[in-house]
Amino acid sequence: MAAIRTNGLTKRYGAICALDALDVEVREGEIFGFLGPNGAGKSTAIRLLLGYIHPTAGRADVLGCDIVTESVAIRRRIGYLPGGIALYDTLTGLEQLDFLARLNGRAPVRRGELCEQLELSTKTLNRMVRDYSRGMRQKIGIVQALQHDPELAVLDEPGEGLDPLMQRAFYGILERLKRQGRTVFFSSHVLSEVERVCDRVAIIRSGRLVMVEEIAKLRSRRRRNVAMQVEGGLPTLQGVAGVSDVEIRGQRVTCSVDGDIGPFLSAIGSTRVTDLTIEVPRLEEAFLDFYGERSS
Amino acid sequence: MNAALFRHAWRLQRVKLALVSAGLFAWGLFPPLIYAKFGKQFEAMLESGIFPQQFARLGSGDIFSLTGSVALGLIHPIALILTSVFAVGFPVSAIAGERQQGTLEVVLARPIGRRSLYFTLLGSALLFIGIAQAALLAGCSAGAAFAGVFSQLPLTYMPLLWMNAVLLFGAVAGVGLAASASFDRFAPALGWTLGIEVGMYLLEVLGSLWPDAAFLQKYSLFHYLRAKATLAGSPTLSDLLVLASAIALAIAWSMVVFPRRDLAAPI
Repeated sequence: MAAIRTNGLTKRYGAICALDALDVEVREGEIFGFLGPNGAGKSTAIRLLLGYIHPTAGRADVLGCDIVTESVAIRRRIGYLPGGIALYDTLTGLEQLDFLARLNGRAPVRRGELCEQLELSTKTLNRMVRDYSRGMRQKIGIVQALQHDPELAVLDEPGEGLDPLMQRAFYGILERLKRQGRTVFFSSHVLSEVERVCDRVAIIRSGRLVMVEEIAKLRSRRRRNVAMQVEGGLPTLQGVAGVSDVEIRGQRVTCSVDGDIGPFLSAIGSTRVTDLTIEVPRLEEAFLDFYGERSS
Repeated sequence: MNAALFRHAWRLQRVKLALVSAGLFAWGLFPPLIYAKFGKQFEAMLESGIFPQQFARLGSGDIFSLTGSVALGLIHPIALILTSVFAVGFPVSAIAGERQQGTLEVVLARPIGRRSLYFTLLGSALLFIGIAQAALLAGCSAGAAFAGVFSQLPLTYMPLLWMNAVLLFGAVAGVGLAASASFDRFAPALGWTLGIEVGMYLLEVLGSLWPDAAFLQKYSLFHYLRAKATLAGSPTLSDLLVLASAIALAIAWSMVVFPRRDLAAPI
């Protein structure tokens, strides 16, 4: 059964189409990435699924419940982390978590392990939220979304504000959730984050779904920017599968590599490389690649 | 009503409620004391014709009788401002304020319907107003006791007066919640609610000071707080019905608007 299924889900604000006929299916037990630049429609889709806003057209089911008529039932079974979560400044972290758990009506069975993994000590939890840094607020946000062990977690930009160590801890939490059969719907504009934790990814732009892809396939399609410093003879890269935009300036060679990197590595196998940088493309570049393909 | 949300509202407001109630109690001490101390002198001054009699009245209140002084205490700007902390401030911040802050989004991610949220907030506002008005009336009673005129206070009608005052400020809170449910930001919700409250107050005051403007009073909710008449033993059921109708109208508006509203991401 699909954890989330949308059929032609559309949201218009007057002449502006924030989400245009979204058709997407999130399978139970997978970590599904929802990727797009700011303003692409990710948050609009999430807000539709949670009943904050109402669809102009189309329909959607979450955990088998209709988003319009069964919104409360949906929210009973999910956990949600809003982007840039706001908390009550006059409560302590613990009071905040207790209040939100009471509103859920479910015991916070996962709170202990989550706080341990995110290094939220009792001392920290007993401090007022107004004294928290952005990262600590985000940690509280993650705990409140997952503490009651929801069947489906909807996380909007969850990595924001977390330092690299905490991001790693958070990825560990997601992996554990996946092992336990929970479903995670994960919105982000950071490609590397989505790549790292998700099974599949949907890419959205200007309110329209551009593609839904397995992460492995997405990775194989990505273009890498390569720069290398060589000594002696220059490698012959012209005509090598996947290699393009070759530029040679003295002993410095730059090029782009699409798809399988094997042919490129074979081509430089006999070259003495003194420095090599393979740059993961920025999200914008990846998007431009996809969009370029689509429009052509 | 949602018990967890109600407890949360109580927790966040209890210190404020204690301070406002203490302030209203303290304010409530004065009108009976002023009546006992200066009532006769003021009455003599008015009867001498130095200034028009209307100038000594505010709404249905005056300082020539204990019931009039209690009525004056209820409708005086000091009482109005203090009670407005819960009749205006709380309802306006409860939806529009939390929406602007982003905390409403976190609450509504829980299994709480918007109607349930609304009625919990309305119930909380009525409770806070009820406690605040009880403190004011308790202050008036204590003031009457200090002034030695407690025996003149018609205690039998005090609960009815309390209900009248709660309905009045409940109607203001209903307007506040309706505005709060209709706007995404705190400022316009506050502006509308304060505008309506102050406008109605001015209509009542203007009508009571200027006989030619007396016809305006019936358009003011404050006109239907007839404290003196209630304490004098002649309460009017229609006044209570008008105020209850205003609350019902505000609820109806909110029930139409709030559940259907799109709550886009906080700005």
